[in-house]
Amino acid sequence: MAASSSTDIEHGVIEVLKNVSRRPIEPTRDSDLAADLGFDSLQILEVVAELEDRFDISIPLNDVPSVRTVGQVVAQVTALVNAATA
Amino acid sequence: MDDVITLPHALSAAARGDHGYRFLGARGVESRTSYAGMYDAARRVAGGLAELGLHRGDPVAIIVSDSEGFLRTLYGASIAGVIPASLYPPASTGELAPYLESTARVLRACGARAVITSAALAPHIDTLREACPELAVVVPFDALDGPPWEGDDVSAPDDIAFVQFTSGSTSTPKGVVITQRNLAANIAAFSSPAGLHGTADDVACSWLPLYHDMGLVGMALGSMYVGAEAIVMTPEAFVKRPIEWLRAISKYKATVSFAPNFAYDLAVRRVKDADLADLDLSSWRVAGCGAEPIHPPTLAAFAEKFRPAGFRSTSFVPSYGLAEIVLAATLAPRGRELRVERLVADDVTTRRVATHANGTRAETVSVVGCGTPLPGHGVHILDEHGGTLPERHIGEIVLTGPSVSPGYYNDVDMTARTIRDGRLFTGDLGYLSSGELFVCGRVKDLIIVNGRKYHPQDLEWGVAELAGIRRGRVVAFGTTSEAGPDRTVVVAEPSGTVPPAELTDAIRRRIGDVCGLVVDDVVLVPSGTVARTTSGKVRRAATKMLYERSVNVD
Repeated sequence: MAASSSTDIEHGVIEVLKNVSRRPIEPTRDSDLAADLGFDSLQILEVVAELEDRFDISIPLNDVPSVRTVGQVVAQVTALVNAATA
Repeated sequence: MDDVITLPHALSAAARGDHGYRFLGARGVESRTSYAGMYDAARRVAGGLAELGLHRGDPVAIIVSDSEGFLRTLYGASIAGVIPASLYPPASTGELAPYLESTARVLRACGARAVITSAALAPHIDTLREACPELAVVVPFDALDGPPWEGDDVSAPDDIAFVQFTSGSTSTPKGVVITQRNLAANIAAFSSPAGLHGTADDVACSWLPLYHDMGLVGMALGSMYVGAEAIVMTPEAFVKRPIEWLRAISKYKATVSFAPNFAYDLAVRRVKDADLADLDLSSWRVAGCGAEPIHPPTLAAFAEKFRPAGFRSTSFVPSYGLAEIVLAATLAPRGRELRVERLVADDVTTRRVATHANGTRAETVSVVGCGTPLPGHGVHILDEHGGTLPERHIGEIVLTGPSVSPGYYNDVDMTARTIRDGRLFTGDLGYLSSGELFVCGRVKDLIIVNGRKYHPQDLEWGVAELAGIRRGRVVAFGTTSEAGPDRTVVVAEPSGTVPPAELTDAIRRRIGDVCGLVVDDVVLVPSGTVARTTSGKVRRAATKMLYERSVNVD
């Protein structure tokens, strides 16, 4: 994919979160995936799979527990996308 | 001479055939271990356990998410005659601290002398030694490689094959004792021609966790007993991409695969139509469904979606069972369409009678037939005084037969409440119709989400000490709906010291951390609303009724 700016990535992440969630949600950078947006562990893995497909990256599952907010997801995806295109 | 085929006997017999386990790892990495290879590896594990000074009858906990490593360790433990207890490994999406806390409780409950785990988890488990005085050895599974166990295995028919810790109960861990006799009896019964009719020509495919009865007994051990090939995936691979489960069935022409209701639902929702073209599910003769309530619309949607890929709706085999009877008590007959009864909802809940809803305009519930008892086993429907109820009357499901566990490990009280005179009081509600079991609810207040059972008191205790809640005035329950999984609801009386939005947030976070469960609804109510009785059960039922009424009014 062409160089993704961090706003592109943020938009992409939010779109994935909205698609996976089965309730109307308005994620912001500070939203906590579980407490604020109501994602359970199954849905978080679904988010991981969707992000991998969309950004053509591989997200190590070991890193998943430390990621709790939308901002952290965006940072993680950005780092992986940059590592892949570097 | 007793003719019970113990786990080591069965493995040594399977080792004479060509079949074995094929493990599907991440990113397409596959490995295969024949039953012969597994038997050799297990004998080295047994030798390693002996070298560590572990003896017959010592409780040994296994916390291994690597499938091959888990099975090798379990078989090795069985050969050495130690008592293996399988514990669930930490979820990849969860926090480690609460996990370690609940693991310590389970280790204490079973008095584990050793924990066999992964190299990554071992240092963390090591920190639990102080909390678990009996814990002498913590060792990574791949370090267990001693001189191969020579001579006969030591497992006798009434020895414990393993202790199965049931999911969910973190505050009061319950370890179900499964003897070699129980295990052999259940596998023989569900593999028999009256059950799945499993043979060495079958190919099983499973992503179910091996620390759960359906994944361990139903798929991994059951396949080995009949000498069939077994394809083993990880639960995470399935949850991330449900299509991988179906691709594995298609690729290896699997004939038998079991999954809980939620897995069929996930496959319907997540598999893209474009991916159907490459699938061939025509080999799949037994699509088992159990471990949680079965919703007929889910299975109908699955059959509809995957019919173009060769799936047959007659492959569905609903089943009923629980860890306390090893795995299965009933299986629906093979090759039949789902048997669904539509009942008058009000009669079910208030009169406890299953009345057909033929053409009525009343609210209805649909219940799935789970088949007749397995050979040698019995299903009885009892009223609250222990009397046998006639057909179509709803009561507690009580099970008998050679698979019924002798009880809970180190817990006579819990055993006396659940298993009496070889009769297993399941806590589930159901009725018989022409001898076939229909399951329609539960006596126990359990919340079931994604196949996992949660005890409301764990949730209540988890939030009890949060600031801002009136003492003892918090109730958790699950609301069941016909359409989908349970919704988790917490009702609490605030003390007024914490702003409501903050309190709601804190309750959600705490339950997420402690139980790994997402709460669907937190309701803060005025003082005196949460019924106060000494029985948690009555309190929950009364509050739940109020909640459901107010939701329906909206």
